[in-house]
Amino acid sequence: MNATAAAAAPAGNRIYDLNFARWVYRNIDGGDRIPLCMQCGMCSGSCPIGTAMDHGPRKLFMMIRAGMKEAVLTSDTIWNCTQCYNCVVRCPRQIPVTGILQSLATVAVKEGYAPKQPTARFSKAFWFSVTRFGRTDERLVTAFYYFSYGLVEGIRRGLENLPIALRMLKSRRMHLGAPHRVKGTADLRAILAKAEEIEARDAGQEGRS
Amino acid sequence: MSESKKYTYYPGCSSQASATHLDRSLRAIAPKLGIELEEIDDWNCCGASVGHVEGGALPQTALSGRNLAKARQKGKSDVLTACAACYLNTHGVNEKIKNDVRTRQRVNEALDAAELNYDGDLNVRHACEVLVNDVGIDKIKAKVTKPLTGLKVAGYVGCQTVRPFAATAGGGNYDTYDQPEFLDDFVKACGADAVDYDPKTSCCGGSVSVYSPDKTLHLIKKIVEAAVSAGADVIATPCPLCQQNVEMYQDAINKKFRTNFNIPVVFYSQLMAVAFGMDASKDAALDQNMIKPLKLVELAKKDGTEPTG
Repeated sequence: MNATAAAAAPAGNRIYDLNFARWVYRNIDGGDRIPLCMQCGMCSGSCPIGTAMDHGPRKLFMMIRAGMKEAVLTSDTIWNCTQCYNCVVRCPRQIPVTGILQSLATVAVKEGYAPKQPTARFSKAFWFSVTRFGRTDERLVTAFYYFSYGLVEGIRRGLENLPIALRMLKSRRMHLGAPHRVKGTADLRAILAKAEEIEARDAGQEGRS
Repeated sequence: MSESKKYTYYPGCSSQASATHLDRSLRAIAPKLGIELEEIDDWNCCGASVGHVEGGALPQTALSGRNLAKARQKGKSDVLTACAACYLNTHGVNEKIKNDVRTRQRVNEALDAAELNYDGDLNVRHACEVLVNDVGIDKIKAKVTKPLTGLKVAGYVGCQTVRPFAATAGGGNYDTYDQPEFLDDFVKACGADAVDYDPKTSCCGGSVSVYSPDKTLHLIKKIVEAAVSAGADVIATPCPLCQQNVEMYQDAINKKFRTNFNIPVVFYSQLMAVAFGMDASKDAALDQNMIKPLKLVELAKKDGTEPTG
């Protein structure tokens, strides 16, 4: 079925795209090493949270090769990675597994495959703090993240974690008052805006051949 | 006092929040070990382990680019950071700028928006690696005036401190990915006992533990349980996020798994500050641990001896 589908629709679609593999090899940092994967399973076997993943890195890499774009970009494997780098240091083919999962997460968010995902929500809150203040304010990031689930859920999560927050305050590891910030926020934002522009420009150049 | 060496210090965001006790104790012990820390002016966040998802790869890289460009303005001293995530990102970006022409060009094009530039001629190093290779275990030992005799310590290294960069910027390895020994060496140098502890580099769940602890509490349980059954009085770690996760989730673990854990989690630098005879609060920042390391506080009250070096 796949062969016929490919012959009939070589351009691919949202669900299944034979060019997806090639695109990953070319555009994702370290993706050029995915064809070297020999499916040994060292990555999935070394993963501390592998049992909580739907596929695990080994299978995910095979799915990339098969062009299963939607299944890859909606897989919770890319979200459950704790970034311990166990797979990276053990991979006999030196595939930078963690970095590839990170890059796939970015693509999944950009292309709208993961709108409600916790990591995506958390990252949004985190990036807000970074671009607004230049530094991470753990209070704001957590609050933004909790309330991304709505007012009621935000309050529920807030209350659930209140004992921890109070202990953090008591041990002076959380402060009251304005967030810590860099002086050069204008500089920092200019750099980030430019970086975003470069990335968009270069992605356009390389295309999705 | 023997000669000191200057480093450009990148404290990172946790130094002003969840890991102020790491920053405080590190700054306290540094002069004793001949480490002179000069902070990067107006440093920013490194992007940690989630920034890329929303921000994208190049903006995430540019964050460390700005820090490195600012560090370079301080001169050619090695950049030192004590945070695992800061080290991973800053060192990783530095290597890329150094070795990959395209990354170097793109990062510099972005940095140019703020009239900054950086060509990759610095070394980025983890505080622990500096302690191992520049200071040396013998010198740490020589500074001990209050040996932590009888204190049983589980040395929990975590992941990112040794992965994937056990190979250092200065060349060579400072330890292995799976069985690092530097932390136990620090513990023993302080006169404490390093208990036999298997999950040295087990993962605490990292940032996943922060936003979805339901997925990772069992990982933290393993880390705590092994320390308790090895008879440890305290868990020591170099990583800010490990310290926070392993300490603050013990209540949640107790609730979920019907356990009764309450073991303090401290930084190696807090152990050293006490062993060097420094103040328990002002220098060792023991007042900032949520679970009070009572035995360590007791040891800090004892009379000290003269340093041998």
